Amino acid sequence: MALSHHFVIYVVITPLLVALLIPIVNRWKKNWIIPLTSLALVISLTLSILLLPNVLASGYLSYHMGSWEPPFGIEVRIDFLGLFMMILILIVTLVVAVYSRRQISSEIEDGKTATYYALYLIFSASMLGFCAAGDIFNMFVFFELTAVTSYALVAIPGTGRAIKASIKYLLMGAPASILILFAIGLLYSVTGTLNMADLADKITSLGYGPVVIASYVIFITGFAVKAALFPLHIWLPDAHSIAPSPISALLSGLFVKMGVFGVIRLVHSVYSTNLSFDLGVISGFLTWVAVAAVIYGSIMAIMQRDLKMMIAYSTVAHVGYILIGIGLTDVRALMGSMYHIMDHGLAKACFFLCAGSIIYQSGYRKIDDLKGASRQMPLTCAAFALASLSIIGVPPTAGFISKWYLVWGSLNADNVILGVVILLGSVMAAIYCFRILYYMYFLPPLKGNWQDTVGEAPALMVGTSWILAIATLVLGIVASLILPNLQKAIEVFYIS
Amino acid sequence: MTNEIYSIQPLIAIFLPWISLLVILIMPGVHRRLRGIIHIVVSLVTFGMVLSFLPNVLDGRTFGISVVTLVEQINIHLTVDALGYYFGLVITFIWLITTIYSVGYIDHRENRYYGFMALCVSFILGCAFSQNMFTYFIFYELMTLSTYPLIIHEETDVAHRAGVKYLKYAIPAGAVILFATLFHYFWGGGDLSLMSSGTLSLETTSRTVLMIMFFAYLVGFGVKAAIIPLEGWVPDAHPAAPSPASAVLSGIILKAGAFGIIRVVLNIFGPSLFKSLNLWIYLAVIAGVTMILASVRALRQDNLKRRLAYSSISQVSYILLGLSLVSYDGSLGGIIHLAHHGIMKACLFLCAGIILILTGKRNVSELSGIGYRIPITMTCFTICALAMFGTPPSIGFISKWFLGSGALQAGQPVLIVVLLFSALLNATYYFPIIYIAFFKRPSQYQPRVLLKDELSSIMLWPTLVLTILVIFAGIWITVPGFPYSLVDRFVANIFQ
Amino acid sequence: MWSALAENINYAAAMILFCIGFYTVIMRRNVIKKIIGLNIMETAIFFFLVSIGYLKGGSAAIVTQGAEYTGMVNPIPQALVLTGIVIAVSINALSLSLAIRLYRNYGTLSVDKLKEVNE
Repeated sequence: MALSHHFVIYVVITPLLVALLIPIVNRWKKNWIIPLTSLALVISLTLSILLLPNVLASGYLSYHMGSWEPPFGIEVRIDFLGLFMMILILIVTLVVAVYSRRQISSEIEDGKTATYYALYLIFSASMLGFCAAGDIFNMFVFFELTAVTSYALVAIPGTGRAIKASIKYLLMGAPASILILFAIGLLYSVTGTLNMADLADKITSLGYGPVVIASYVIFITGFAVKAALFPLHIWLPDAHSIAPSPISALLSGLFVKMGVFGVIRLVHSVYSTNLSFDLGVISGFLTWVAVAAVIYGSIMAIMQRDLKMMIAYSTVAHVGYILIGIGLTDVRALMGSMYHIMDHGLAKACFFLCAGSIIYQSGYRKIDDLKGASRQMPLTCAAFALASLSIIGVPPTAGFISKWYLVWGSLNADNVILGVVILLGSVMAAIYCFRILYYMYFLPPLKGNWQDTVGEAPALMVGTSWILAIATLVLGIVASLILPNLQKAIEVFYIS
Repeated sequence: MTNEIYSIQPLIAIFLPWISLLVILIMPGVHRRLRGIIHIVVSLVTFGMVLSFLPNVLDGRTFGISVVTLVEQINIHLTVDALGYYFGLVITFIWLITTIYSVGYIDHRENRYYGFMALCVSFILGCAFSQNMFTYFIFYELMTLSTYPLIIHEETDVAHRAGVKYLKYAIPAGAVILFATLFHYFWGGGDLSLMSSGTLSLETTSRTVLMIMFFAYLVGFGVKAAIIPLEGWVPDAHPAAPSPASAVLSGIILKAGAFGIIRVVLNIFGPSLFKSLNLWIYLAVIAGVTMILASVRALRQDNLKRRLAYSSISQVSYILLGLSLVSYDGSLGGIIHLAHHGIMKACLFLCAGIILILTGKRNVSELSGIGYRIPITMTCFTICALAMFGTPPSIGFISKWFLGSGALQAGQPVLIVVLLFSALLNATYYFPIIYIAFFKRPSQYQPRVLLKDELSSIMLWPTLVLTILVIFAGIWITVPGFPYSLVDRFVANIFQ
Repeated sequence: MWSALAENINYAAAMILFCIGFYTVIMRRNVIKKIIGLNIMETAIFFFLVSIGYLKGGSAAIVTQGAEYTGMVNPIPQALVLTGIVIAVSINALSLSLAIRLYRNYGTLSVDKLKEVNE
C-alpha cells in the first residue's frame, strides 16, 4: 500500500494535529504560529491536489479507517464533488489565514491570537472532514465540530455584541444539529447502517416508507438552518457582520456552503435523486423557498446601511441561487450550483476581506462613510469592484458561468420563471453592488472622512484580497477545464 | 462561416486600446500635452490596424480566431466580416476624432476619462468582431459598464442623476439580453453564430419561442438603440456627459444597440424568417413611432445637446426602419445610416462642445448672433444640420435615398411618407438653430469675434475633418472603404 | 391503539421530551432556560437512539471466546450516543460560558432586554 493511499486522511488530519500544536508553540515562539498555520494548510492543499488525478481517474477514493471494511468500519470517501469543495476550502482558508496576520490584531486582544489560530485550524479541518466523510454520522460529528468552533470564533472579540451574536447563532444552530442527529437516528432505525453508499442501497431496496421521508425532511430542515435558508437565516446577518472580518469571510464563503453541500450529499448520495423525483413536493417546496430567499435577501441587502450587513444579506440571496439549482434536479442546474458554491465562496470572501481592510484602516462600517474611499484606498476598492462583478454575474467572471448554468438548468426543467428569478436576482445584486462602487468611486467624501492620514491597507491584506478577486475572474475564463469533470461527477447521480 | 481564415489580427485590434490604460497605469502624472499625444497615437494606431484589414475584407475574406471556450460549445470567438469590419471602422474613426478633440476639451481627471474611453472602445470593437451572440453579449455587457464613468465625468448632480438613470435602464436590459441569448441557445437549435443569413427556423423552434426571443432581443438592445419607450436615459445622459463623450455615445454606443438588432434581424433570424413571422411590422411600427415622437419632442428642447440627443433617438430608428423593410435597398440604407449618422451627429456634438467652451452657452435661445462670433464652427454645424435632413450632396442624402428606394422595393409607400415627415420635423428643429445663430440679433451687446480663439483651438480641426467627410463621402460614395462598399458586400451576402 | 402506544412508549416519551425541549428553546425568554431546553432536546434524542438498539433481555455486546452472538444489544446506537454526549457537553460548556460573559456585559439574561440594548 503506497504512501499516497494515506493522503486521503492526511488532508484532514494535518490541520487538526497542527491545531493541537499551536497552544504549545505559543509558549515559546509566538512568531511561529502563523507560518505553522499556513504550512499546515499548504500541506493539506498540496496533498489534496495530488489526489486530484486519482479521483478523476477512478471516480472516488475510499479509505478505511483502521482497515475495517465498510459498512462496519469508518469510511472516508472522497469523490470529485468532495475534493472540489476541499480544494476550495483550503484555498480560501489559506488566503484568509495569511490575511488575518495583520488584520486580526485589531479585532481581538493580543493574548487570544493562539486561540484564534487553533480554532481556525480546527474549523478548517472539520470542514474538510465534513466533505470527506463517507458515513452520515461522521458527517454529523465534523459538522458539529465546525459549528462549535464557529460559535467560538464569532464570539472571540469578546465584546458584548459579539457574545450576543454568537449566542443567538448558537441557539439557532444547536437545535438544528440536534435535528440532524434525530434524522440520523430515524434513518438508522430503518436501515441499520450509517455508511452512505450502503444507505443508498438499503433505501432503494426498502422503498420510501414514512420514516425515511420523515428523516429526509428533518435532515433538510437541519441543514437549511446551517445554510441560512430563508426564513431560517435570522442568525446569519448578526453573526456574519459582527464576527471578525476574516471569520466573516470564512462563514459566508465556506461555512454556509457546508449546509448546502450537506443537502447535495444527502439528496444525491444517500437518498438518491429518485427520491427527490418521488417527493416532488419537497423539492418543489425547497425551490420556492429558495426563490423567496433570493428576493428577500436581495431586497434586504439593498436596504442595509452597514457594509458587512449588506454583504451578509447578499449571502442569504446567493444561498437561494444554489438551492434553486439543487431543487431543479437537473445536471446543468446542479453544475451551476456547484460552480456557484465556488465562485460565491471566493467573491464573498473577497468582499469581507475588503470590508475588513477598510475597517482596519479607517474604522468605517457604514456604507455612507464609504463615499470617496477610492481616493485613499484605490487597490482595496478595485478588488471589491472585481469581486462584485462576479457577484452580479457579469461575463466573463465565474459568477456568470454559474448563472448561465443555473438558467440553463431551469430551462431544461421547463421552468422559465426560475430562470427569470435568477436574472432578477442578478439585477438586484447589481443595485446593491453598484451603490457601493458608486459611493466609493464617484462621490466626494463626507465631511471629515478619508483624511490623507488614512492610507492603503498593508500589502499583505491587499494582496490576499486581490488573489481572491483575480481567482473569480480566472475561474470564469478557464471554466471549460473544470466543468467537464464536474459534469462527469454529477451525471453519475442522474443516469440510472 | 466555414471558410474562415485563422488570424490573430482582430484580437490585437481589440487589445490595442489597452495601451492607453497601460500608459495611464505606468505614468499617471505625465504632462498634459504629452498625455494627449500618447492617447492620440494609440487611437491612430488602432484605427490604422483596423484600416489595414480593408484589402482582405474587400476580397470577401472573413478571418478570426476562437479565443477561449467558456462554457461547453460556446466560445469567445472573434471574426471580421464585412459588417463587423464596417462597424469597427466607424468605431475607431470616431474614437480617433474625439480623442483629438478631447485634448482640448477635457480638463479634469483626464486619466479616468481616457482610460474608460479606451476600455469602452476596446469592448465595443469586441462587439463588432463577435462571431457569435455569446461573445457579443459579453462585450456588450462590459461596454455598458465602462460607459458609466464617461457619462458622469463632470461629476455634477445632473451628471450623477443621469448616470443612475443610465444604469437603471442598462442593467435590466443586459439581463433581458442574457435571457434572450439563453432562449436562443437552448431552444433555438444551439447555433449562436452571427455569420450566416439566418440560423433559426420554424422547424426546430416553435413560433412562440421565436417571438419571445425576438422581443427579448429587441427590448434588450432597444435600450441602447433608444427605441421609444426605452429611450429615457438618452436625453439625460447626452447633455450631462462631456461633449466628446456625447459624440461617442451618439456615434458609437447607441449604434451598438442598433448593431445588435441588425445582427439579430439579418444574421440570426434571416430575412425570410423575419418576414414570414411578420416581425417586420412590429419593427416598422416601433421605428416609425420613435422617429416621429422623438422629433416632436426635440422641438420642445431648449438645451442644445438635449435637442441633439432627441435627434439621435429619432435617427437611430432610421436604421431599424431600414431593417424592417427586409429589402436589399432598405437594409443597405439602414446600415449605411449607422455610419453616416454617427459621423454627422458626432460632428454636431463636437460643435456644441466648442460653443460651450468658447462662449459658455448651452441653450438654443442664447445662441443669437453666435454665427458671427465663431463662424467656422457654426458653418460646420450648419452643414451637418443640413445633411441631417437629407440635403444633397451629403451623406445624409445617401441614406435617405436608399431608405426611400427600399420602401418602394418593399411596396410600402406609407413608410416613405413617414420618412418625409420625419425629415420635415428634422428641418423644423434644426432650422431655428441656424436661424438664431446667423440671423437673429443678440439682445445685448456681444463682445467680440472669437475667430482667433477658434482657430487656435485643437477642437476645431476634428470638427472640420468630420464636416469635410460629410460632404465628400456624400459625393464619392463608392470609394472602397467608405460605407457603401462594405455594406453592399454584406447585404448582398444576406439577400443572395 | 393503546397497546401499540404501550409497546412504543419509549419513542413516544422521546418525542414528548423533544417537544418540551423545543418549546423551551423557542418560547422561554431567558438565555439559561433556553440552554436548558437545548439539553432536554439532546437528552430526548439520546433516549431515542438508545431505545432503537435496545433489546429486551439482551446482553452487552462484548464478544468473548465461545459466547453466543444472538441476543445482544445493538452497540452502534450506544456509540452514537456516547459521541453525541461529548458534543452536547462541549456545546453546553460553550453556551454557558457565553451566557456568563453575556451577563457580565449587560447585567441581564433576558432576551427581550438584550434586544433593547443598542450599541
